[in-house]
Amino acid sequence: MHAYRDQYAQLFKDGQDVVLIAISADPVDTLAAWARDDQFQFLMASDRDVTVATQYGALSTRPGVTNRNLFVVGPDGTIAYRAVPFREIDPTAYTELGEAVGKLAPAGER
Amino acid sequence: MHGTMSALALAGTLLAAPALGQNPPAPTQQQTPPLDVGAVAPDFALPGATRHGVLREPVRLSDYKGKTVVLAFFFRARTRG
Repeated sequence: MHAYRDQYAQLFKDGQDVVLIAISADPVDTLAAWARDDQFQFLMASDRDVTVATQYGALSTRPGVTNRNLFVVGPDGTIAYRAVPFREIDPTAYTELGEAVGKLAPAGER
Repeated sequence: MHGTMSALALAGTLLAAPALGQNPPAPTQQQTPPLDVGAVAPDFALPGATRHGVLREPVRLSDYKGKTVVLAFFFRARTRG
């Protein structure tokens, strides 16, 4: 999550047009404490019973754990880009993500 | 020759296992395939948090219709990545 934090302005335009939601099966209090301690600018969501991760296809083989899959949902509500898994230590992964997000500026701002 | 026999024995074991109807012993989670590009993103409402604390209202995907939303699933809080 630290790369997302450090590249937030560049990758997600400081949240102006892009909403980043980081999701895991952790309790919401744990996510809030981590976000506070490490100063994450983005939203975090707690998928305790991995219902949403199951719907999206983002489950680890380990029970009750999500894996590092990333989905970009376009303004029309469909999946515009996916990285399954997102290669968080690979710089090109962020370049690709930035390009995918950049193509999806809201209508009227292109 | 001994190696060949061992390999054959191993192959026999691997082939025999499904025939005996054995279940995999390790507790693993059934993985669903990731949604494809173009699929409608299912709406959700989950307890949410920011660095300022736990949110009073759940985080809903539908609240951000018309915006680009990045859903980044991750393993566990306070791990790398």
